[in-house]
Amino acid sequence: MTRKEREPEAFLPLTPAVFHILLALADRERHGYGIMQEIAARTGGTMRMGPGTLYGSIKRMLADGLIEESGQRPDPELDDERRRYYRLTELGQRVLRAEALRLDRLLRIAQAKHVLPQPGTEIGGA
Amino acid sequence: MPSSTAPAPSDRWLQLSERLYRRLLLVYPLTFRRAFGAEMAQTFRACCRAAVRESGTAGLLRLWGSVCYDLMTSAVIEHIRAWIALFKRLSGLEKELHMITVPFHLDVAQLTDIGRKRARNEDNMTSVVPTDRQALAQKGALFVVADGLGGHDRGEEASRLAVNTISDVYYNSPVEDTGDALAQAVRAANTVVCDLSTQQEHAEEKATGTTCVTAVLRGDTVYVANVGDSRAYIVRAGHIQQITHDHSWVADQVRLGALTEEQARTHEKRNQIYRCLGIKPEVEIDLFTETVQDGDALVLCTDGLSSLVTDAEIAEIVEQYNPQESVKRLVERANEQGGTDNITAVVARVSLA
Repeated sequence: MTRKEREPEAFLPLTPAVFHILLALADRERHGYGIMQEIAARTGGTMRMGPGTLYGSIKRMLADGLIEESGQRPDPELDDERRRYYRLTELGQRVLRAEALRLDRLLRIAQAKHVLPQPGTEIGGA
Repeated sequence: MPSSTAPAPSDRWLQLSERLYRRLLLVYPLTFRRAFGAEMAQTFRACCRAAVRESGTAGLLRLWGSVCYDLMTSAVIEHIRAWIALFKRLSGLEKELHMITVPFHLDVAQLTDIGRKRARNEDNMTSVVPTDRQALAQKGALFVVADGLGGHDRGEEASRLAVNTISDVYYNSPVEDTGDALAQAVRAANTVVCDLSTQQEHAEEKATGTTCVTAVLRGDTVYVANVGDSRAYIVRAGHIQQITHDHSWVADQVRLGALTEEQARTHEKRNQIYRCLGIKPEVEIDLFTETVQDGDALVLCTDGLSSLVTDAEIAEIVEQYNPQESVKRLVERANEQGGTDNITAVVARVSLA
């Protein structure tokens, strides 16, 4: 594979699917179904990704060098089928961080304009 | 919930769903299917099970709702991307000279067992699936099974040497043609085992040698090289086809019609082979090529399995279980039948779609 050395900023903004997959892999490697489970759990089920969207994103992320395969083995929590695991590459980590920073800057603007409460204050219930 | 009182209906729906989803994967472009089809089906299966666990058949229906939408949108995206990639290649915008064919997905398991009658295990085996996608595309995956013969621990060493030499020579060979590279590797193994034979101290010792069946899966083709009476089979949709011909006296008698398969199985000369590695400096190698299809299983085994377990039984086990479970069950079955020899089996399931 010819891996183009691109700056992390060149990938921004990320699509929601790619951002969620990178986040799911931030703490550890996971297989495809594991990524889906993690995303569903973290978003309280509001973000559900189908296999087509998931693997379409995985395909491009592999090609871009954001993630890589880390081997095949069964998941003892599921069954004895071998599953392919994915993990973040160094570039993937940097891109994830760059996107999180970008969102953080946006968030600060929203706070400054009182769209969102300032950090530290309680979000008032309606 | 109906699922807890009557699991049978949702089980049926589960199986039906999986089969339907595998069919529906055909809406994706071929290269995408080859790379991820098997994983998507696996992931879908896990989703189905979770949905059924949570809310039975109703959960499965809800899952189908979201999966249909996912299928349609992502398939359209993949087709558009495939067209854009094609356009870029044709217009020279992107020069990717490497093979565009994304390698297949393989699920492999291997197991060897001493059996119930022998003092040592003289079988050896190896499975090599390169993790590097480019290496996998160029060289393919390699499987070797060898059944050693000889006094002391020579048989064991002969089969181990053969297996190691073949994988080393094959993956380091500059020869581009897969069949040629494979034959070269087997010839190299013959030389190495011959060297071992000449170290034999006493002329009256049993001859040292080894059978050897080797398969390389590359793209949608399997290349098989064989010397001796270990076997390679393809199991496709429940039907089993033996690729190799045994170089044994009984197999020749069966071919000539002088013995039936059943008689050959129990014949006193069933262990007599007339070709193996390590006897003569020049060895005649049988080479076969077969086209594989999505879902095919490649089976390599020593006669410790094929002389005790019928082809039909092998097919039944391999069709029903995944490779890991299949090799366990095949060895178990041979041991139930007496385990008269060492038993070795390699099962590799191919997913192209």
